[in-house]
Amino acid sequence: MSSVKIRNLRKSFGSLEVVHGVSLNISDGEFVILVGPSGCGKSTLLRMIAGLENITAGDVIVDDVIINKLPPRERNIAMVFQSYALYPHMTVRRNMAFSLKLAGKDRAEIAEKVAIAAEVLDLEHLLERKPAQLSGGQRQRVAMGRAIVRNPKLFLFDEPLSNLDAKLRVQMRAEIKEMHQRLKTTIIYVTHDQVEAMTMADRIVVMNEGNIEQVGLPMELYYRPQTLFVASFIGSPAMNTVEGKLSANGLFRFSRGAEINFGDASPRSGGDKDVVLGIRPENINTRRQGIPIGEARIRVVEPMGSETLLSTSVHDETFVFLDRDRQEFSVGDTRVLFAEPTDFHFFEKTSGERLA
Amino acid sequence: MTSATAFPVAKSRTRAGDALTKAVIYIALAMMLVYLLLPVYWMIKSSFQSNFEIQRIPPLWLPADPTLKPYENAGLLIPMWRYIYNSLFVSAMTAFIASGISCTAAYVLARFRFPGATLILALILITQLVPPITRVFPVYFLIQSFGMLNTYSGLIFAYVGFSVPFAVLLLRGYFQTSCPPELEEAALMDGCTYFSAFWRVILPVSLPGIAAVTIFTFLNAWNDFLWASLLLSSGEMKTIQVGIGEFSTEGGSTEYQNAFMAACVVSTLPALILFFFVQRWLVGGLTAGAVKA
Ligand SMILES: Nc1ncnc2c1ncn2[C@@H]1O[C@H](COP(=O)(O)OP(=O)(O)OP(=O)(O)O)[C@@H](O)[C@H]1O
Ligand SMILES: [Mg+2]
Repeated sequence: MSSVKIRNLRKSFGSLEVVHGVSLNISDGEFVILVGPSGCGKSTLLRMIAGLENITAGDVIVDDVIINKLPPRERNIAMVFQSYALYPHMTVRRNMAFSLKLAGKDRAEIAEKVAIAAEVLDLEHLLERKPAQLSGGQRQRVAMGRAIVRNPKLFLFDEPLSNLDAKLRVQMRAEIKEMHQRLKTTIIYVTHDQVEAMTMADRIVVMNEGNIEQVGLPMELYYRPQTLFVASFIGSPAMNTVEGKLSANGLFRFSRGAEINFGDASPRSGGDKDVVLGIRPENINTRRQGIPIGEARIRVVEPMGSETLLSTSVHDETFVFLDRDRQEFSVGDTRVLFAEPTDFHFFEKTSGERLA
Repeated sequence: MTSATAFPVAKSRTRAGDALTKAVIYIALAMMLVYLLLPVYWMIKSSFQSNFEIQRIPPLWLPADPTLKPYENAGLLIPMWRYIYNSLFVSAMTAFIASGISCTAAYVLARFRFPGATLILALILITQLVPPITRVFPVYFLIQSFGMLNTYSGLIFAYVGFSVPFAVLLLRGYFQTSCPPELEEAALMDGCTYFSAFWRVILPVSLPGIAAVTIFTFLNAWNDFLWASLLLSSGEMKTIQVGIGEFSTEGGSTEYQNAFMAACVVSTLPALILFFFVQRWLVGGLTAGAVKA
């Protein structure tokens, strides 16, 4: 149980800086998820916290102590790797007992802790097997078991579920969340799957190209993304975005000349301004609720059971929307799309910053 | 009910061809096996025969009157058991020292990036390009100037020097492919120092590779004739290979043929026994399941 402060953390490989001064406060018992596209520096950040990567500048502070210079073994941090990294020459039992043995715990205590972890993770019948004799999901659980027997200050997960199939991933997601609720240990979890982030996190940190774009509660990120990047990264299917001009009186003009009148619902822009307009697929309806976006020609219909995903074009721009009313659609149909004015997001075109 | 036999059974058009290919492969393999094993068989058979029987025409394929006398004689004609001991000691020490050195060197070269790493690798590779015979004089004089001629340590020193470069290259590749860095990082997180991570995780996981290198260096040393005859040539210090070589000109190929064959058989035994003991390490497969396939 520990708080973590990251202060202005930088990492360079040679002359190439890949993490550019990241700061973050994580309170005791929090489940924080780092998301971002591939190569944005998530693993590097995690590995600096773990002590597996040297820190170029800045501080990692755990429980009000700077741990920059401590080797991994003195940090009391457990890590679950994407590849699991189980010791292939040891049985499941010895894999889990390894850290306790190194810490010099006595036999009885080790046996007890391993037994408890095995029960929690449903691994009791697999204890004498070697990793090669386990399925992907079982290996994943052993990797978690190896982390929890230690009762560490902090758990680090680096994309632990990305090697599992979709169904198992959903199941493990629930198990990890449940484990966190029971143990209440601070967790920093890396993924590039935004669904994982939304469903599990107390707080999400969105990273992009070595910087933090936004930190917030899952719903905050969803409802009030601070940048265009966060807006298009969080949410599935992704938010529709259109470039255009916003006038002082709340009139949004598409590049092809069509207009949407937001009136008072638009942010104040003080004269014509280049903006990006965003609207989520699930906020668009054909029930004439809200204000009209325009006439849409349906190009692709993707029924998904409870809802139907439609790709359409409106004023030569692509709009994707989700229909939950089980209407019949066929390719080539036209419908007028509507959305509540409050569901639109406005971003400055050049900086990508949200307009109030 | 309609019968399943109503459907025609598809016939493979390539099956006959497959059978023919197989037959050809087996015949070729059988011929190669005969080519390789016949001399070995001849050696073993002759070591249990009298000289008179060996020279009979037509040759006898099985000893008519098997005897252990040739083994006894070999031990009397040359200090065979002492030679075997010399060879065993030198080869085992070589294998042990060379594996230890190359293991640690290969690990560092596989895991750490440091200035000069590439240069070191290149130098190691270059040593493999120099024909061994060109090293005869430098190595001889080096050993001589150390005062190590006709000592075990002189020959061991030379053998270790010759086998380390190749062993390092082989093991470095092994560490890189079969032993992912995450394993070591997991060990570090679990509380290991760099050394204990190596000792408790990397080493056991790499045993098949290390065993291969150990056996390889052992057999190289065991089978060597050139260096042993140069550096360890006097009296009772000879290795078995050198001893047998001399025996062949001292009657081994004429009046003591059966004893000579017996000495040859004895000289192949240690390698054979070693192979039976360690082959399970060579099968590998130990690392399966460490990380995703
Ligand atoms: N050892 C290294 N040497 C040089 N560059 C590196 C090294 N490790 C990572 N990088 C670079 O640092 C950047 C961040 O890498 P990192 O592994 O942290 O990305 P990530 O966000 O975890 O991506 P992914 O989602 O694909 O795992 C990448 O551009 C990568 O090329
Ligand atoms: Mg990563």
